[in-house]
Amino acid sequence: MVERIKTGLSEILRAAPVAEADYTAKGYHLFAEVAASDLQGVARFFDAQGFYLAMIACVDYKEYLELVYIFANHAELCKVKIALKVDPAKPVAPTLSQIFDCACWYEREIREFYGVLFEGHPNLTYLFLHEGIDHYPLRKAQVPVSAADKRAMAALPVADGEDSFSINLGPQHPSTHGVLRVVLKMDGEYIEDAQPVLGYLHRMHEKMAENRGYVQFYANTGRMDYLGAMAFNLGYVTAVERLCGIAVPERANLIRVICTELNRLQSHLMWLGAYLADLGALTPFLYVFDDREQIHDILEPVTGSRLTYAYFRFGGLYNDVDDQFAAKTRAFVSRLRSRFAMYEKLVTGNVIFLNRTRGIGVITKERARKVGVSGPVLRAAGIPMDLRKMEPCAAYGAASFAVPVGTRGDVLDSYVVRVKEMENALKIIEQALAAMGEGPVMAEKVPKKLKPPKGDIYHCVETPRGELGVYIVSDETDTPYRMKWRVPSFSNLMIFPELAKGCLLADAVAILGSLDLVIPEIDR
Amino acid sequence: MEQLISIIGAQAFTMIAGLIGVIAFVVVNALALTWAERKVAGHMQRRIGPKEVGPYGLIQPIADAIKLLGKEILTPGAVDKPLYVIAPILIFVPVLVSFIVIPFDARLVVSDIGVGILVILAFSSLTVLSILLAGWGSNNKYALMGAVRSIAQNIAYEIPLLLALLPVIMIAGSFSLTAIVEAQKGLWFVVYQPVAFIIYFIAAVAETNRTPFDLPEAESELVAGYHTEYSGMRFALFFLAEYTNMFIVSAIAVTFFLGGYQGPILPGVVWFLLKAYLVVFVIMWLKWTYPRVRFDQLLNISWKVLIPLAFINLLITGGILKL
Repeated sequence: MVERIKTGLSEILRAAPVAEADYTAKGYHLFAEVAASDLQGVARFFDAQGFYLAMIACVDYKEYLELVYIFANHAELCKVKIALKVDPAKPVAPTLSQIFDCACWYEREIREFYGVLFEGHPNLTYLFLHEGIDHYPLRKAQVPVSAADKRAMAALPVADGEDSFSINLGPQHPSTHGVLRVVLKMDGEYIEDAQPVLGYLHRMHEKMAENRGYVQFYANTGRMDYLGAMAFNLGYVTAVERLCGIAVPERANLIRVICTELNRLQSHLMWLGAYLADLGALTPFLYVFDDREQIHDILEPVTGSRLTYAYFRFGGLYNDVDDQFAAKTRAFVSRLRSRFAMYEKLVTGNVIFLNRTRGIGVITKERARKVGVSGPVLRAAGIPMDLRKMEPCAAYGAASFAVPVGTRGDVLDSYVVRVKEMENALKIIEQALAAMGEGPVMAEKVPKKLKPPKGDIYHCVETPRGELGVYIVSDETDTPYRMKWRVPSFSNLMIFPELAKGCLLADAVAILGSLDLVIPEIDR
Repeated sequence: MEQLISIIGAQAFTMIAGLIGVIAFVVVNALALTWAERKVAGHMQRRIGPKEVGPYGLIQPIADAIKLLGKEILTPGAVDKPLYVIAPILIFVPVLVSFIVIPFDARLVVSDIGVGILVILAFSSLTVLSILLAGWGSNNKYALMGAVRSIAQNIAYEIPLLLALLPVIMIAGSFSLTAIVEAQKGLWFVVYQPVAFIIYFIAAVAETNRTPFDLPEAESELVAGYHTEYSGMRFALFFLAEYTNMFIVSAIAVTFFLGGYQGPILPGVVWFLLKAYLVVFVIMWLKWTYPRVRFDQLLNISWKVLIPLAFINLLITGGILKL
């Protein structure tokens, strides 16, 4: 695969060399720097090869801005980094939004944070920010936002039409689970257009990362995704370890897997309850809280917290688990298995539930790839991609489980996939518990102040919601030069407008719920 | 007392006494039902429900009522004031009228009108009007959508409701509720008319806007539907009406299908209330078990399933009676 892509890419980029990168240290196999005129051609090549665009990041190197495009494949492990240098005085770049739909939002984000103008972009308006921001926040030098740029970016999302009216679903609305706002253009009960408006919980984590040490930023990661905090911790910690070349003891890796899977269970259970509450059934919500509580009770004595964890350390864990941990976890696993039988009766066999979810919000494989959705939503669309299998970090390599996939790609499939994933998580926990032996939980000689070698890394892990990618650029100091977070809910939300079009309002709520959004993670 | 009766006349006296009794019952019933709903919901969700205020939390509804009464009466700036104010009051008229004709016991009925069931059905259609006023007067898109849903839903489900009651009226040969109960001396009509009973029950749940048919106030879609802009006592009136309506549809179910006040040993009124609250419990049970249906599915169930079924049932009943 890598060889084939290298040859293909070299043919397009005759002048520029395609370099092979050290995958273990960098997280990508190939690297190429392209000229602005070649970028769209390269993107078309990757599109034809069945790749998806994992993310676009921008890095301000002072002399130039670098746009970083990460292309990856669902079927096979092959990651390619494409870089494009842009003049910081007059930053202009070609858009990829016509080729990969997900580029649309990433480019809007870069536009408001760096001021890069993407030529040919259909809608370069504010995504997170507003006219009150006077400087491009992520530029290293202070670059003011001109009044003309502000006007151009502050266009209204949707206006009332002749036979339609607009309503705001959010930012305070029971079904958006947080401060997401979707402006809906409605024709009676039918939705003509849906435009998500983000930024109500924007805290600029990426800027914070540039101003504090690697260890100091660690606590922020759990705050992004409050439901899957452990997976976000894992993503960050393993990325930095990979960057610095720190080896982690086996026991620590296994405990990491157990804790992350418990956290994933907790997140999926929460989704199950909240999703059924969206559909009008309030009782399951209380049932799953019962189960969630048990998970918190297992993790609390070990990690010290119940929601936003900070248990992992660079090189291992904060402390070893106590002697009751394994027994409590085993008891919980068997308890949850019997509870699944009850959920099956209460939910899966319910005619009303099936009628509400079957056949709506259908995502085809092609659309899933173009929009770059990931996680359970991607698997529901029929693509068996799980980063725990594809790029196993911690002790995931030893875990054996079957990746569940959907057949129809509708909302019901995403429910089925998540339920199967919970069963898988139980399996993985059992396997990890069985494999766990005695040993240290912390690597020796990890420096207090981490100064990773110069370079960058794109490291991704499977969170409960999908692919979390951490792109870190290090300049050999103790603070990251640039840290970009490719978050799963952000990419999954991008597909919502097209799914909602032509739907009933009730369906839109069901679809929005099935994406399992966590708003602080989208807004970062 | 006799002097008072002689002045205003015996019939007027029963009416006034009955009305006072009905109002008292409405309030007590609503308080009891809110308590019951919270307990039922609590136990179904593996919680305890209210337990701090009074034994088993029995005083809780009174505390709630005082809280609601004590709240400031807020009127949002953009509302159409006359409509907004009148809607919660208007929703109570059909509720009160319905109680007048319901026979709690052989003699415990405020007024045994010959066309009792028609009075109930005619007045319960008024509920839609007040919901429309509330939705329109609130000047809120969510409220309006809730009101529109409510109207479509109520129109759709009034037809099967009526069609399900007709066979019983044909068998009993009377519109009077007391006569219908008396006609069930031997066997309850639910035995003769199981299909009609099921159709009636589904339509009744829809008429009272309860889950799985609670679309007018679907909170995950429409925030709170037609009463989004209401708070304090005005909201409480909608709430009170919902619970009273729940009792009324259950009372009609008992009267038409479950033998009304008839039963051994215990007095009739006890039997009546027992049966009625059992039906209410089933309605609550549904609410805490099922998710909500979708709007088009809701209308399809009525127009494509319930109404044809009710018609067939009606024709068969008519045919058998003619033989």
